[in-house]
Amino acid sequence: MAEKDSNKIHHLLWMLNELSSPYGDCDQKLASYFLQALFCKATDSGHRCYKTLISIAEKSHSFDSIRKLILKFQEVSPWTTFGHVASNGAMLEALEGEPKLHIIDISNTLCTQWPTFLEALATRNDDTPHLKLTIVVTTSIVKSVMKEIAPRMEKFARLMGVPFEFNVMSGLNRLGELTKESLGVKEDEAVAVNCIGALRRVDVEERKGIVQMIKSLRPKVVTIVEEEADFSSLRNDFVDCFEECLRFYTIYFDMLEESFPPTSNEKLMLEKECSRSIVRVLACDDEIDHGGYSERREKGTQWSQRLQESCFSPVSYSEDVVDDVKALLKRYRAGWSLSIPTTDDSGIYLRWKDQPVIWGSVWKP
Amino acid sequence: MMSGDVFSIPNPSATAFRQELEPNPNPKPNPNAKKKRNLPGTPDPDAEVMALSPKTLMATNRFLCEICNKGFQRDQNLQLHRRGHNLPWKLKQRANKDQIKKKVYICPEKTCVHHDPARALGDLTGIKKHFSRKHGEKKWKCEKCSKKYAVQSDWKAHSKTCGTREYKCDCGTLFSRKDSFITHRAFCDALVEETSRITNVGAANNLSFRNEINGNNLMNNLPNLSHGFTNSVHLPTAFQSGFDSGDSFIGEHQAQRPRLSLWLDTQSNSSHLNSMDQNSNLFLPDMNAFCVQTSSMGNYNNLNLLPPQALKVEPVMMNINKGNTISMTDSLASLYQSSKSNSPPHGPMSATALLQKASQMGSTKSNSTTFFNNTVGVMNSTSPSNSSSTNRSELHQVFGNTQPENPATTNANANANDAMMNFSSSTSTSAMHSLTRDFLGVGGDGAGGGSFYAHELAKFASMSSAMGLSQFDH
Repeated sequence: MAEKDSNKIHHLLWMLNELSSPYGDCDQKLASYFLQALFCKATDSGHRCYKTLISIAEKSHSFDSIRKLILKFQEVSPWTTFGHVASNGAMLEALEGEPKLHIIDISNTLCTQWPTFLEALATRNDDTPHLKLTIVVTTSIVKSVMKEIAPRMEKFARLMGVPFEFNVMSGLNRLGELTKESLGVKEDEAVAVNCIGALRRVDVEERKGIVQMIKSLRPKVVTIVEEEADFSSLRNDFVDCFEECLRFYTIYFDMLEESFPPTSNEKLMLEKECSRSIVRVLACDDEIDHGGYSERREKGTQWSQRLQESCFSPVSYSEDVVDDVKALLKRYRAGWSLSIPTTDDSGIYLRWKDQPVIWGSVWKP
Repeated sequence: MMSGDVFSIPNPSATAFRQELEPNPNPKPNPNAKKKRNLPGTPDPDAEVMALSPKTLMATNRFLCEICNKGFQRDQNLQLHRRGHNLPWKLKQRANKDQIKKKVYICPEKTCVHHDPARALGDLTGIKKHFSRKHGEKKWKCEKCSKKYAVQSDWKAHSKTCGTREYKCDCGTLFSRKDSFITHRAFCDALVEETSRITNVGAANNLSFRNEINGNNLMNNLPNLSHGFTNSVHLPTAFQSGFDSGDSFIGEHQAQRPRLSLWLDTQSNSSHLNSMDQNSNLFLPDMNAFCVQTSSMGNYNNLNLLPPQALKVEPVMMNINKGNTISMTDSLASLYQSSKSNSPPHGPMSATALLQKASQMGSTKSNSTTFFNNTVGVMNSTSPSNSSSTNRSELHQVFGNTQPENPATTNANANANDAMMNFSSSTSTSAMHSLTRDFLGVGGDGAGGGSFYAHELAKFASMSSAMGLSQFDH
């Protein structure tokens, strides 16, 4: 395709179409989704295709289905809970002793990390602090779901006995628009910023700005968790980007295959979500549409560099948190491991079959 | 003894402390009763207050062997060890128990609640553990869940149960992992109903509640998810201590409210006795506090359990317990309820104890049918003469030897009839008093009522109906 030989393209696409299927084994599924992206690329219909896929997803998802999906995923795989445990642990330690907490949550977790955080807040100390949670919504699907989540969070906090305030910021078109003022940070609050799976949604050019904006909030701690893949530095080289994409999603699909039961509906939904990402990354031209739908992941080392450029310093996870993560992984099936690079402090990795897939880190200004 | 690390406050000051102390909130009604445990942090005002330094408190091996330098926690252990060295050894006898002054210990940490002598703890091991738990470093860590403990025994106890307990959500789903349980619960639709009873309360109430629970780690873990647990062993303690922390506490603390309301709902619904069976441990202490708190005993009138005839007993019994705000029926009924919900019945309790408990609305673990047999049997035995033993043996014949056959029934009928007639004829208060005395007297013999059986009770009840207990209603 890079060669732009249209006959060849036709031929190859046709062949792939024969071989692939979204309902087959891993390879077939991957083939089918990548084929879709390739097709869009060839026909320059990436954006249209992506938007269509998004709207289909919005219509077919309800609070119930999303809740079921995310909870089931967390039950069978530590893909997301790894980040939750690591970040919660780091935040709890950094905010120890503070009476008023303000956590700014820019994540794709749909608040699933907060119940355990609330429980820990309630039980760890004698003095339960006041927690203000400001959620910054990152995608359109999430906006509608938040209406259901907000009362549940409030009720749960009451049940836990934690004084609680819950705010949702969903007015943004894209994350890059986020400003310090809109977050409503008060002087006496101890601020923490929690970014799980969200920084990749910021358009590449706006990433520096976001990091600096976070810095301006003067947080006590910033927890960042991202999927370990580089779709960003290679974005101008189609073949390399394609290969990286394929590499990453092969691992992901393999993980899904082994974690879920074979006929799981949830697995299918997650795979479809991947297909949207793949289309977005491979077939959409960034310059044209700054719709805030970026999926350009970066590796931990890349994010680290960004943060350090903005004068953040890394904080290593404490032994307790690492033990907690290890204990978490024990609760899941085999295949998962934790790796802590000895070279620098910037983060820990979750590995699936020894491939690093998730990067978690802690920063302070 | 050690150097000046330990000092006990001499008597004059003890007096001074005594003045500060509140009167002992747990008066012993019966000096012969076995040693009662005071509530943690409510010391005996006569006790000597010991203030040990942190170093002394944490010291493990204070007694050293001069030869090999081995350390021991107790002097007795050291003495026994010295025997091995062929050294002169002496095992000190414990001084006369009555003369030894009771010691209570305060926590050396100034900010701690137990630093105040009025809240001293009565046991050296207890204060050591408290100090470790609250102010010490947590050196012990669970392998499975990486929870940390300061006291080794706490850690051991936890490790035994870690991972074995299951969590149950209100919606019925079971979880083996705590974290997935918590996350599920927060998003579960079952959460919605509970919150209608919860009011917004500040964190302060939380504090008082949690501070009261000494070392009850499970409660500390999940203050409000506990009713989801199928393993309910630990809750009674928590309930007790929670309620003990003050009457005003109930109804204020929003974290407590949901559970309390749950139990209230359970109690008021008599058809839920089955579920009460499962939750029997939980039900009892709650009933304790609940009854103390409120006077609305309406709940306990939903008794489908008692045969209607047995209820006729109530006018008699009520007279015995004068000055009790709670009617005997209710207490009987609740006792019956509670004891029914206790799966393993203990042996028959003495009537005295039962009566006392009933008047205090305490919980009892007796077999209810035994109780009934006791009281009813006893009543009958006292009337003709005050030689309770004769009558008892009569009744023993009646009840003990009876097969559920007709001849025996008529026999029993006759006897019972006589007894009843006699009883009903003596309606004067003196009879009542004698009834009381003998009731107690018989009870004082121990399990004098003997081991009556349930079917005999039923028989008696049916007999009573045959005779018509209207005799009682004068």
